Amino acid sequence: MLNEIANFLSSQVSNSNAAAHEAEVGSGHVLVAPESLYACCKALKESDEFDMNVLEVVSGVDYSDRIEVNYMIASFTKGSELILKVKLPKESADAVPEVDSVVSIWKSANFLERECYDMNGVRFRNHPDPRRILTPDDWEGYPLRKDYKTQKEWHGMEIDPEHKVNSADHNFFKKVVEEMQGDEKKVAYSWKGEE
Amino acid sequence: MSSIDGKETGNFGQPVSEKIKSDLLTLNMGPQHPATHGVLRVEIKTDSEIVAEAIPHLGYLHRCFEKHAENLDYRGIVPFTDRMDYLGAMAMEWGYCLTVEKMLGTEIPRRAQYIRTICAELQRIASHFVYAGTYGIDLGAFSLFLYLMEEREKILRLFEEMSGARMLYNYIWLGGVWNDITDDQLKRISKFVDELQENMKTYHSLFGENKILIERLANVGVITEETAYQYGATGPVLRGSGIKWDLRKDRPYGIYDELDFDVCVGEGLKGTVGDCWDRYHVRIKEVDESIKIIRQCLDGIEEGPIMGKVPKVLKVPEGEIYMRTECPRGELGYHLVSDGGKTPYRLKVKSSCFTHVSMLPDLAPGQMVADLVATIGSIDIVLGEVDR
Repeated sequence: MLNEIANFLSSQVSNSNAAAHEAEVGSGHVLVAPESLYACCKALKESDEFDMNVLEVVSGVDYSDRIEVNYMIASFTKGSELILKVKLPKESADAVPEVDSVVSIWKSANFLERECYDMNGVRFRNHPDPRRILTPDDWEGYPLRKDYKTQKEWHGMEIDPEHKVNSADHNFFKKVVEEMQGDEKKVAYSWKGEE
Repeated sequence: MSSIDGKETGNFGQPVSEKIKSDLLTLNMGPQHPATHGVLRVEIKTDSEIVAEAIPHLGYLHRCFEKHAENLDYRGIVPFTDRMDYLGAMAMEWGYCLTVEKMLGTEIPRRAQYIRTICAELQRIASHFVYAGTYGIDLGAFSLFLYLMEEREKILRLFEEMSGARMLYNYIWLGGVWNDITDDQLKRISKFVDELQENMKTYHSLFGENKILIERLANVGVITEETAYQYGATGPVLRGSGIKWDLRKDRPYGIYDELDFDVCVGEGLKGTVGDCWDRYHVRIKEVDESIKIIRQCLDGIEEGPIMGKVPKVLKVPEGEIYMRTECPRGELGYHLVSDGGKTPYRLKVKSSCFTHVSMLPDLAPGQMVADLVATIGSIDIVLGEVDR
């Protein structure tokens, strides 16, 4: 299935460099070049063979040197699903990589891409409404980046003030973990699990 | 309160004298509006009683589930999944456990599979009852709410006995379920579904066959097949538009491939296919199908262990997976990326409500404000799942 799609994309979109990656555990994916993403999505949607009519979710994953954006697309008529992946290189830690928006192909991409921008910091070119969605419009940073640090204050409000954090609970569990140092089996509470 | 967007032509395209300017009124529906079932804020621009534009604002209930998940061990995430869709907590847990179990290659004992299926279907009934009851309140029909909450209470009591909690259970664990179900409880479930099947006819005649409600719901908030595909609608919203797609049937997980049930779709019995009444009817018919499934599980349940073999220190092999399950509100998908460690590298949740909310700007224009309330109610959102 993945190989068929990769071959189809290579034949339809000249610069796609589509490659199928089968997985031993979990799901495999098809990797395409970022600049050909829009053309690839359009080809998959319009092909009679695959008929990928639904975009389920856009999931960004942050790595130290790149951000991977996964498009989970599915066909409800053919009963198939696919992870289409692009790798966007990150020049510096706070760089915001860009990729083409697919809103004109699937309208569900509107909110999903906004969420990806908000959480992972990926800018989608030609997006009709490129605002943040879950955090306030003037929030700083992208929370699901691995190096994210919460800002100190927002509109004069202190974020996570010391006296509001339930430090008693926190310290108790910290102590429990310290006392059981070196014995992970005691810390994990799965007393019903097998060795 | 009002904004002035002077328009050169009338809002309905009819010729208007240039001296008369028709202004749009901006209304904030929510965040504390009873008809939004949570903290959804919809900014609507109205021309008298007609909605010209609706913009949903999300994020009031954002609790950083995905960021928390990156710092918790795999077992510790289960209680957090409960808190996403608090009306369908069992289904949320099951989806997450399936995802991780598939990566680990764990085999689930048969008894645990049956218990999980019973729980998930009871949860579906409870969730649809909250939908129908509160939907009635939105539309001014209070009596159904009282009946349905009483039935739901019986389910919650049972869950409380099994798991110790009424709404946020942490009952389905990686590898199986936390606690065994007793024969007495199984008997009571059997009695409950028998009674419920009788009562469902009364409830449907009370609400769905009510002339006033049919007038309110038929031909309102029509989601066409094309719109449903474009916005990635799933679950009862998709099936209400006449599309036969149910993951339990088309991509079976657990033991659903051994069970016999039908997929209910909207047929446009009272109006157009895909209107609010169709979505209501699909959910009510799904309750009947759930009863059918529960009966088969009660007949087929086997004795045996309830927990599979899961290592104590749990490390998921490197790789990624995207796994979907059918929840009361639609498809729930987990995208899990593992780097071989004790915590997930990334856990992304595909929430059906999130995509359903994105439909609102398309559905709202041209509707009455009261019909918009009916439309928002009919897509049955839980803001805990939208914002995560």
